[in-house]
Amino acid sequence: MRTIVHSTTRAAWRLCLLTLAILLPALAQAQSADDAQPVTSLTISSSGALLVLQGSDLFAIEGGTLTEITLPATNQGAQHTSLARGADGSIYVAGPGLGVWRYDSAGENWQPLNDTLPDLGVTAMAAHATQPGTLYAYLGKDGMFRSRDGGAKWVRVDSGPPEPVLAFLHSDMPGSMESGWLFAATTRGVSRSMDCFCFWGDAGDLRGTVSAIGYDPAAPENVYAVIEGQLHHSADGGETWISLKTPQSVTALAFSPSQGLVVGTANGNLLARGGANEWAPVHE
Amino acid sequence: MVALTSGRLSMNKWVYLLVLVAAPVFADASGGPGSSENAPSGVAQGRQIYEQYCAACHGRQGEGAANWKKPDEKGEIPPPPHDETSHTWRHSDAMLFKMIADGWRHPFNKSDRLTMPAFGKQMTAQEIQSVIDYLKTLWTEEQRDYQKTESQ
Repeated sequence: MRTIVHSTTRAAWRLCLLTLAILLPALAQAQSADDAQPVTSLTISSSGALLVLQGSDLFAIEGGTLTEITLPATNQGAQHTSLARGADGSIYVAGPGLGVWRYDSAGENWQPLNDTLPDLGVTAMAAHATQPGTLYAYLGKDGMFRSRDGGAKWVRVDSGPPEPVLAFLHSDMPGSMESGWLFAATTRGVSRSMDCFCFWGDAGDLRGTVSAIGYDPAAPENVYAVIEGQLHHSADGGETWISLKTPQSVTALAFSPSQGLVVGTANGNLLARGGANEWAPVHE
Repeated sequence: MVALTSGRLSMNKWVYLLVLVAAPVFADASGGPGSSENAPSGVAQGRQIYEQYCAACHGRQGEGAANWKKPDEKGEIPPPPHDETSHTWRHSDAMLFKMIADGWRHPFNKSDRLTMPAFGKQMTAQEIQSVIDYLKTLWTEEQRDYQKTESQ
């Protein structure tokens, strides 16, 4: 990933090519060990930086610069699986054994938001699209929790869809009785509910284990879902879906104001979809 | 933490309903003819109005249409229940009022019509509120607590 985003000089390219020519077999083996780690989750910061969660590493990519952000120290067995950006720009990370944490950019540290959660088994989290303090966390059998004060107080609001939720998002797509919609990536497909938790229903007939889900904030009817590395797109809020061809197996996705749809792949790469629906490496 | 499981009508629910319905009766006993106490209580009035305008679609006991979770042959979401088995209790008073007054169309219905008609011209604001008060008697205590919080 670093090779994708670092700007290099011509001299450096020559040196790299020479090195590659001499050490290609060894490098190939090293690359499969280092860069083959799938991208776990993506989001976009309020400044437009692409935040990339890759295993236990978090990177911010902006203006050709890659910065590593130290993740919160965790208990053994804890996993970082979800990234989210709040309506006020706050960045959250969550995962099983980890709970939910918010990044304090001023202090450059993480604050746990787990005091009133029943346990740390958060398998998915989302932030409200327009309400800064409203967060959602899914804790498997314990159901769905909502906080309206930035994570100080969590209240169980629903059991969630019938199938386990692997990821979910809040969208300000119009038409809700309340303030928006929740789209959940489940083991059966995409499940959808207004954010009153009125009723979880199938979003179309897309079937399979959905591992990642995202939407276009500028055109919220456009929802994207990943099943077994295959990217799918709905242009009507989840009613109908089509498959999108991608050069690599997709594991994460986000919408960048500058680059549009960005996906992370099983190979650890970042690709952006261009105007001609062609995929190219991300250059921030 | 609020447990949100649905179940059979609890004793608390019946007590709540009894108090709401019976209290105005006792109040009427102290009032003379033509006094304001002769007007139906909010809940009793709400029940009358519900049976007049709402029960045909949402069921006399608020049980809703059969198979209300799936679109019907017209591609429209059928009228949901208003009792403890559905989601009416998840909405604030303000949202319930708005839906009754202005009507509602589910955004994914295949038709353009308001499947929930607007009753803002048939009912006064007080009458709409009385229907909402009646609907609350169909919920569990925990659901009422949740809805009260949502209404704040």
